[in-house]
Parts: sequence; C-alpha cells; structure tokens
Amino acid sequence: MTQRPAFVPWFVLPSVLTALGLMVAMLTVLQYSIRAHIPGSLDVGGYTLDNFQDLYKSIYINAFITTAWLSVKTAFFGLLLSYPLAYALVQTRSGWMKSTILIIAITPLFLGEVVRTYSWIIVLGNSGFINSVLLAIGLIDEPLQMMFTQTGVVLALVHVTMPIMLLMLATGLSHIDPAYRRAATSLGAGPVRAFLTITLPLSLPGIVASLTTAFAWTFSAFATPQLIGGGKVSTVATLVYQLGFSSLNFPFAAALSIVGLILTVVLLAVFKWMTNSLQSVGAR
Amino acid sequence: MLRKTIALSLLSASLIATNASAAEKLTVSTWGGSFKDLIDKAIGQEFTKQTGVEVEYVTGGTIDRLNKAKLAGSAESDVTFTTSHVGWLYTTDGLFEELDMSKIPNASHLVDQARLSPSHIGVWGYVYTIGYRPDMVPEDITFDSWNDLWSPELEGTIALPDWDPSHIIAVSAKLSGTDAEHWEKGQDKLKALVPNIKAFYTNDANSQQLISTGETPVQLLLSMNAYHMMDEGVDIKLAMPEEGAVLGIDAMGINKGTDQADLAYQFMNIALSPEVQARISEINRGSPVVDNAHVDPEIAKLPGMLTTPEQWAATLDTDAKLRAEKTAEWRKWFSENIMVQ
Repeated sequence: MTQRPAFVPWFVLPSVLTALGLMVAMLTVLQYSIRAHIPGSLDVGGYTLDNFQDLYKSIYINAFITTAWLSVKTAFFGLLLSYPLAYALVQTRSGWMKSTILIIAITPLFLGEVVRTYSWIIVLGNSGFINSVLLAIGLIDEPLQMMFTQTGVVLALVHVTMPIMLLMLATGLSHIDPAYRRAATSLGAGPVRAFLTITLPLSLPGIVASLTTAFAWTFSAFATPQLIGGGKVSTVATLVYQLGFSSLNFPFAAALSIVGLILTVVLLAVFKWMTNSLQSVGAR
Repeated sequence: MLRKTIALSLLSASLIATNASAAEKLTVSTWGGSFKDLIDKAIGQEFTKQTGVEVEYVTGGTIDRLNKAKLAGSAESDVTFTTSHVGWLYTTDGLFEELDMSKIPNASHLVDQARLSPSHIGVWGYVYTIGYRPDMVPEDITFDSWNDLWSPELEGTIALPDWDPSHIIAVSAKLSGTDAEHWEKGQDKLKALVPNIKAFYTNDANSQQLISTGETPVQLLLSMNAYHMMDEGVDIKLAMPEEGAVLGIDAMGINKGTDQADLAYQFMNIALSPEVQARISEINRGSPVVDNAHVDPEIAKLPGMLTTPEQWAATLDTDAKLRAEKTAEWRKWFSENIMVQ
C-alpha cells in the first residue's frame, strides 16, 4: 500500500484557507440580505425579508433574463470563434504559426478587462473604427448603433472570454490521440467525416469546460456590460453595483446577489446535465 | 573632552529630531486622476512647504473609500476628501472627528453653502450643468433653460451620471414647481426625458470619453471636468440655464482616531487660505468656498464659476443631508423607472 507523502496536507492548506475566507464573505452577504436598510447610514437595521419582495419587479426579472441570455450568446459565439483557432493551433506543424496564434490569442489577457472594454468603446462608437469603415465604403449611410446595445456587449464579452476558451479547447484537442484520426482516414473517411466522427466528439470535454467557464464568467461580468451597455443593458452585476455601491442600499444589493448566485448554480447544473447527456452520446 | 561630548550629544539629538520630522507624514484619502493632482498641486505641496511634512495620498472612488473607512474600524488616513452628501455618511457613521473650528481660522470666511456639518466643510464648489458639443447639436438649441434638454431634437443624445441621479431629480423638481425634498412631483417630468437619454456614464473618465468621441454630445456635466476636457482640446460649451445650475461641493473632514489631528487641522486651514483657493480656481476651475479669495477676473467670468454671493445663491442647492438620506430611494426609483426604459 502506497503511503501519502506527509507534505500533501500543507499543499492543500492555502486552498482550504481561501475557501474558508470566501465562505465567510458569502455568509456576510447572506446576512446583509436579510437586514433592513437605514436611509442615510451605512449601518443596517433589524432582520427582515423585505429585500427579497421587490425582486419580482420586471426590472430585476429582466436583468436575470438578460444576464443569462448574454452568457449563452457569449459562450456560443466564443466557441464558434475559438474552436477553429484552437484546432489550427493544435494541428499546425509550423512553429511560427503556433506562436502567432498564441500571441494573438493571449495578448488580450495582459490588458485586463477594463482596458479592453475601453478599446471596444473606440471601436464600436458612432465615429469608431467599424462605423468609419462601413461609412467609407458606402455600405451604410448612417452609423450603426452598437454602443449601449446587447450586440455591443456580446461582441466585447466574446473578446474578453475568447483567450481562455481557446486555451481550454486547445488543451482538450491536444489530448486526442492522432492515431484515431489516422485510423478513420485509412478506413476511407474523408477529412470532414473524420473531424465530425472522431475529433469533434472526443473534444467534447474541452468544449464543455470552455462553455461552462465562459458562461459563468459572463454571468458575473461587470466592467464590460457597465461601460459598453452604458446603463441601457442591465445585468445582475450592474444592478448590484448601482443599487449597492451607488445608492448604499447594501441589504437590497446583497439580496440581489444571493438570488443571482442561486440562479447561476441552477443554470450551471442544468447546463451540466445537458452536456453530460451530450458527452455520453459522443462517447458512443 | 567635555566640549566634544556635548557637541556629539547635540548632533545626535538634532539627527534624531530630523529623522522624526522626516518620518512624519500626513495621509490624505482622495479621488484619483485630476482631482488628486489638484489637491497635491494646490494644497499638498503648500502644506509640505509650510510644515516640512510629506503628504501621502490614498486614492479610490467615493463609495469605495467610504466602505473601506467603515470596514477598517480605525483611521487609515488622516484627512478625507469626498462629496458633500457622502461626507454626511462619514459624519452619521462616526467616521469623522467633530471639527474644532478655532483650529481652522481660515474657515471663518466660508460661504454658508460650504458649512456642511459639524464634521465636514467644503473645500471647493462646482456646478453640474449642461455641457455640449456645439458642432453636434441643432443650432437653435440654446440651453438657456433646463427645459431645452427635453427638446425632441435631442432624442438619443444625452448622457447622465449613473451613480447619482440627484442632479437631474433636482432639475425635474424645479421645472415642476417644487424642490428636491418634494421630488415626487417631478417624476413625470423626468420620465418624459427618457427618449432623449442615450446612456448613463459610470465615472468621470467614462463621461469624458463619451463626450469627446461625440457618442453623447450632450451631458449633465461636472463643470470642473468640462474645463479639464477643454484644456485637453475638446470643443465643449457649458450652458448656464436660467433656473440655475446644480450646485456641488467637495468637502474635507478629519478621520476619527487619527493621531495626526494637529497636522490635519493645519492642512485644512491651508486648503482654505485665500491663495490656495485662488490656485484651485486656476488649476481646475473649482470655485473658492471662502469669500476672501482673489480669483483672476478671466477665470471668474467663466460659466460655472461661483465668486459672488449672488452666483452662489442662484444655484440649485440640494441640502447635503437630504441627499445623503434620499440617495438610496432616488437611485432605486431612477433604476426602476428611468434606466430600464
């Protein structure tokens, strides 16, 4: 019987401490959500469930729907754009090409979400890059409104999530034994059939992992919806900021956060259940 | 021998004293960017010149710093700059010392509007008013009245701050024949503005980007930010509606529990000196909050500068304490009725 090395618990300790800290923070948020707001003060009042009563209003329900829909669209379009890049990254034998793809894909990670989002404001604006080009070549007569719309927010969010999705997909694809594809080809399958019947099903774990990450990441995204949405695209995170930090109504913002967290867990569970079914199909 | 010993002792003592003085510093909590630069150039450097004490700045957003002060439990800074109504939150939550005004002799010249609470006083004034790109709005719109903001010709052009609706609420109330305390009467008026609102800006940087790119050519704009952008070469005009621009005052207070209270009082007194107040008007077009500052006449005549009692009185001045108490209610109503339309 192999004995576990004595240092292993020490390796786990930092994670345990971080998890404990996070749990304490979450319990504090939970506690805030059931306390009364005192106007003109940072202190909170007695225990109450009133903070949850307003959440049925259409503004909050719409914010939950918008957040979920933005997350789905971002994950879907992120996958559509990242998968071919990841495939090319894994398949290419050219070191130069590999480096180019990696640099293009990973550089945005060094800029941070806020800087990237400000860049998108310049690109998407009425006098921004896209509108200037379209106007110059005569495709449009008036600038397209992309700022302060869901389309603009999704575009920027896809850019924010793409590097991580690409890395996860590339990792998944690189674990597929090339012998499977060679065997299919030698048995007469064309490149498309080999891809659809071998590569794609075997890359499902990477697809699921990247979709889940993109979905969860977008669900909690703040800077991009706030800046690109310009207050016209309300998500759970932007409302928590507006109602908690701007108006100092921390109990209500905490209630919104708790419901948002529950919704995230439920949606991720549904997503997991759906992808498990998909993976079992792929495994056959 | 004795002489040498005494000389060495004196030298050692003077070195110790010098080190103690060099180690002394005053920590000031403020916003970042141009406001931190303003405080350093106009007040901090003058304070260091007069006292030999360095100033260290802790920067952050208004509410972030308030939260940190509340959570820290002890003074992490000695002096805090904030907006007038948030200063009331510091006061009611016991985060500011009650001020001994005898230690701030220059405060005797404070205008009434800048005497905010027993724990915080104004440091400069400004207005929130209509800022616009003259080349991007219809020529017949003059903005002589706040009512011009409601013109159908401005559909989808306006940006408002998203963190504080108090300014536009005060304006809507005024146009509806009442004031911010009875703001409910102005709700319908404000709802009628929705078609003209294109976006809500998150912070000063966001405001500056949206107006400089022309994305939102009309904004409810902080006058000091407008002048900052004009200095950067952006073509912006500030209007002065006949009903009055909305008064804003930035304030300062001494953090509870500070062990540098004497230095903090000195800092505040220097901030209110006529020379420093004039310098604030030169650097960022902040209006002096004392009545004895001499402002360059060329600066004094700029829109939004408040240099006479009549100009101060002509502003829409919402009581800072009322703003502090109503912020949550106003913000929630604003989110539910104006931002989601």
